[in-house]
Parts: sequence; structure tokens; C-alpha cells
Amino acid sequence: MIEHLPALVLLVPLAAAITMPIAAHGRRHICRPVTLLAAGTMTVLSAASLWSVAAHGEVRYSFSGWMPPIGIEWLADSMAATMVTAASALGTLCLLFARGIGDQQPDRTTVPYHTIVLLLIAGLAGAIYAGDLFNIFVFLEVVSLSAYALVAVPGGRALVSAFRYLIMGALGTAFYLLGVTYFYAATGTLNIADLAQRVPGLLDSKAVLGGLVFMFIGLGIKMALMPLHGWLPDAYSDAPAGAVPLLAGLVTKIALLVWIRILFWLMGPESGDEPLTVFTLVSAFGVLASVAGGCLALGQSELKRMFAYGGISHVGLVLIGIGQANFTGLSGGVYYLLNDAVMQCALFVLAGFLATRYGVSTLKDLGKAGVRNPWAIATLVTVGLGMIGLPPTGGFFGKLRILLGALEADNYLAAAAVVVTTLLTLGYIAQVFEKLLRGRGAAGRRSPGETPATLRVSMATLIAAVLGLGIWNDQIVRLLMDSVAAIGL
Amino acid sequence: MTEALEAALSRPNLIAFVLLLLWGLYITITHHNLVKKLIGLYLVQTSVIFFLVTTGAKDGATVPVILEQAGEFSADLYVNPLPQVLTLTAIVVQIATLGVSLGLAARIYRAFGTLDEDEVLEKLG
Repeated sequence: MIEHLPALVLLVPLAAAITMPIAAHGRRHICRPVTLLAAGTMTVLSAASLWSVAAHGEVRYSFSGWMPPIGIEWLADSMAATMVTAASALGTLCLLFARGIGDQQPDRTTVPYHTIVLLLIAGLAGAIYAGDLFNIFVFLEVVSLSAYALVAVPGGRALVSAFRYLIMGALGTAFYLLGVTYFYAATGTLNIADLAQRVPGLLDSKAVLGGLVFMFIGLGIKMALMPLHGWLPDAYSDAPAGAVPLLAGLVTKIALLVWIRILFWLMGPESGDEPLTVFTLVSAFGVLASVAGGCLALGQSELKRMFAYGGISHVGLVLIGIGQANFTGLSGGVYYLLNDAVMQCALFVLAGFLATRYGVSTLKDLGKAGVRNPWAIATLVTVGLGMIGLPPTGGFFGKLRILLGALEADNYLAAAAVVVTTLLTLGYIAQVFEKLLRGRGAAGRRSPGETPATLRVSMATLIAAVLGLGIWNDQIVRLLMDSVAAIGL
Repeated sequence: MTEALEAALSRPNLIAFVLLLLWGLYITITHHNLVKKLIGLYLVQTSVIFFLVTTGAKDGATVPVILEQAGEFSADLYVNPLPQVLTLTAIVVQIATLGVSLGLAARIYRAFGTLDEDEVLEKLG
């Protein structure tokens, strides 16, 4: 049983998604509990898988017992297991949150909506665990297609945003597949472990470099890297409030994680002393994205758009971390990725809560509303501290490592970009603080009823996660970095 | 320069792929009709899949089914089946994308009564 855990983590939500349209036919009310149950089971299974990986080392799962290179392999190393656990836990929290803010009466979108959410969560697990580039492509597409459909749920303006997202995202997938083709043509394998052996010797090959560039473009669209981010703010501000935390916290981060895994094998000692051009490029795009994203966030008046640009800018920070090609930067980047997933989730939970409960969607409304909800204020303060990067939140330790990595690599431009981004983040988060805490208005006194328990649980868990990631940062970084010990960095 | 040109001319599959890819991108970017955009997108995806399947092409080789067990095998006589299998999967993914995108286009048409991007944006205000 225990050795099948990585497969079960995928199968539980997938089976639930497939049976949902049949089982819930005429019984719409079972959708929400069943989805929550499936996501909760998946969280427990992935936590068990993480525990077994931490205790006994990485698991290589071969489907149907066919060993690679013939069979399909899943690689559950400590990083993948941690990320799957985080993704499924965040997915469960987002479902709890969506349940708390949604109207309790199921309508005709309920069944497809929950089916798609389950497919999205299953795709995330697959894309993290998959041990070869082609399976990553398939699962990325499962995630992306679910995301397009989720954005389109409210209809009207959201349809146009979803269509744009689809065009951009599908082009991204095509470029990623093109990169995979180049890699396959140059090396004759798609397995990540085999590629890690063969690629460092082939770095002069134009096919490998071309493949890397195309993959970077493709994944760059998916992770909303700065010049390719056009689809994101519209998609996030039009998507249903219950689905945005899922999209913001997980869908863009998955592309970033895939890119980090691809870059691993270039960091080994065989690739020479000089940092490769590709890392310089990644770092430069990170600098651009973090600073420009921060500036754009500062100029937004709508909360969701501000947080969306904040997310774009923090994707840049992760890229700066991994672009330094040293252990400190890489560990900071991966660790910050985990933090950013939690913080983006929490920020959009907050934005969705304010929008549905108080009708607040812009900074100006927020100042007028005078929100006095302790849960909202506690979430904003904790996550705001995390976004700015103050201890004891995880954001501080992630940024610190990225900064130290940049200094270690003598890359002062990148180090300066981290500092500037921190200041810009302080700028826009402080605006929200100011409006929320000093807001005087009638709406605040007219309490919109008690906060449902599901909302309280999801917000409290997110707060605990932001703080917990910071308090146990050393252990978490060590756990994440077990996977790269093999390449000798 | 001539070397690069010769290298390109010796790989007609690459030329066809590049032409299809650029054609598709051009249609996706320039056309205002949403369905035409999707046609361009489909062309881009098809060009990549076409490139993927041509990487497995081999002159004078046959299907990788070994009928007689005796004797020596030569890898030159058999085609690598993996690119074709990958192509099949990629086509399935492409069709799924097309299905979702056409569904979206249909909903846009029902909501706005037009498929022209400019008119849709005008109606959104």
C-alpha cells in the first residue's frame, strides 16, 4: 500500500472527478462534500507520502511495473512530495473558502465546477510527480484547460478574459512541446533522471539550447513572466472569487516549479565554473519581472489587480534566486516558491472575502467600508508582513536567502532588485493596511453576519502556514533541498 | 551563411514546420475573428506536432515489429515508435484544447451576439 501512495494521490481526485457528473446527477447537493472529501483524502495521502519520503528517501514509482526507459516513471523526491502536500492542502483550503463565501444553493454550474476543480488538483499532483518531460506536458495541459474553464464560469466579461488566457496558454503549451521535441531529438530520452546525465555534456548543442529557450518561453507564459503576463490580471479579476486563490496560488507556480526542475540538471559540477548564459538570462528576466511587477502593482486601484501584479513581481524574485546558480540562491528560490503559493492563496482569499461580504473591490471602497472583521485583519497583517518580507514569516527567510545567493554570485543588480521589490511591496501593502485599518464607514458597523466556520478555518490555517513556514524555515529548506544533493551542489 | 542555408535546405521538414508555425502565429495575432484566431492556434499546435513526428522518420526503415526471432537485428531497419506515440498523445491534447476553446467561443457568441473581438470589446465598454 505505502509504495503506491504517489499514484493514489493522483487517482483519488481523478476518480472523484470522473464519477462526479454521474454520481451527482439529480443530487447536486453532494458535490461540495464529495469534492472536499476527495481533496482532504488527497492531502492526507500526500502527507503520508511526504512522511515516507522523509523517512526512507525518494520513491521512484513505475506504473504497472514497467521500468523506465520503457515505462512511465514518477519521481517522488522530498521536493516533489513537499510541493504536492502543499498543493493539495492549499486546494482543500480553497474549497473550504469557496464553500464559505458561496451561496449555499447549488445551481446548474455546481457539478461541472467541482469536476473541473478536482481535475485541476489532480493535474497539479501529476505535473509535480511526473518523472519525464512529456508527462509534465500532459499534466500541465490538464491544469491549464481546467484553469481556462474555471475563469470562464461567471460568464460575460470573464468569457473574454478566459479566451485570451486560452490563446496565450495554448501557445505556451505549444512552445513547451517544441522544447521537449528538441530535447528528445538531441538526447533520445525524455526521462528527467536520464536527461540530467546527458544534457550537461551536450550544452554546446544548438538543439539543447533551442529546446531550453522554447521551454522558457512556453513556461514563461504559464508562470506569467513579465513580458508574457498580459493574460493574468484580467483572468484573476474576472474569475469566480472561490476559484482565484486556486489559480493564483497553484497554477502559475506549477510552471515555475517545472522550470526549476529543468534547470537543476544544468547546475551540476560538470557544467563548468562559469555560470551559463541561460542562468544570466533567467536572472535578468527575474530582475525585470520583480521590479516592473512591483511598480505596476503600486499603480493599481483594484485590490485583485494589485495582488495579481504582486504575484507577477514575486515570480521574478523566485527566478532571481534560481538564476544565481548557487545553492543559497536555489534553496531561497524553491523555498520562496512554496511561500509565495501560500501567500498568493491567502491574499486572494482575503480579496474574495472582502468582495463577497462587504462588496469591496477597490482601495477606495476599502477606505469607505471600515471593515472590522478580526479574521480579515489578521490575515492581511500576517500575509502583508510575509509579502513585504519581515520576520517571523516565511517571506523574510526566502528573500534573505535569495539576497545572500545574489551577493554570493556577485550579482549586485539582482541583489538591488530584491531590495527594490521589497520596498515596492511595502508601498502597495501599506496602502491596503492604511485603508483597512483606518477606514471609517457605515458599512463596518453594519456587520454582515458572523464569519462562517469554513472561512475561519481556511483563513486561520493560511495564517498558521505563513508563520509556520517562517518558524521552521531551516528544516523546510533542508527537506526541499534533499533532492538537489544528488547533483552535488 | 551558405552553410546554414544548405543545412536548412537538407531538412525540408524543418522548413515546413517553420512556415506552418509562423503562418499560424500570424493568423492568431492579426485576425479579429475569434474562430480565425483558433484556426491559427490550431495551425501552431499542428506544426509542432508535425515536427515531433518527423523527428522519428527514417529512410528505408519499417514498422518496429520483429517477426522472426532468429538472426541479427539492425536498428537501421526499424523506425523508433516513440515519437509517433507521443504525437498521438499530443493530438489528443490538441483536440481537448480545441474543444474547450470552441466551447468558449460559442459562449461568447451567445453572450455578445458576435465573434469579432473589437465588437465584443466595444460591448464590454
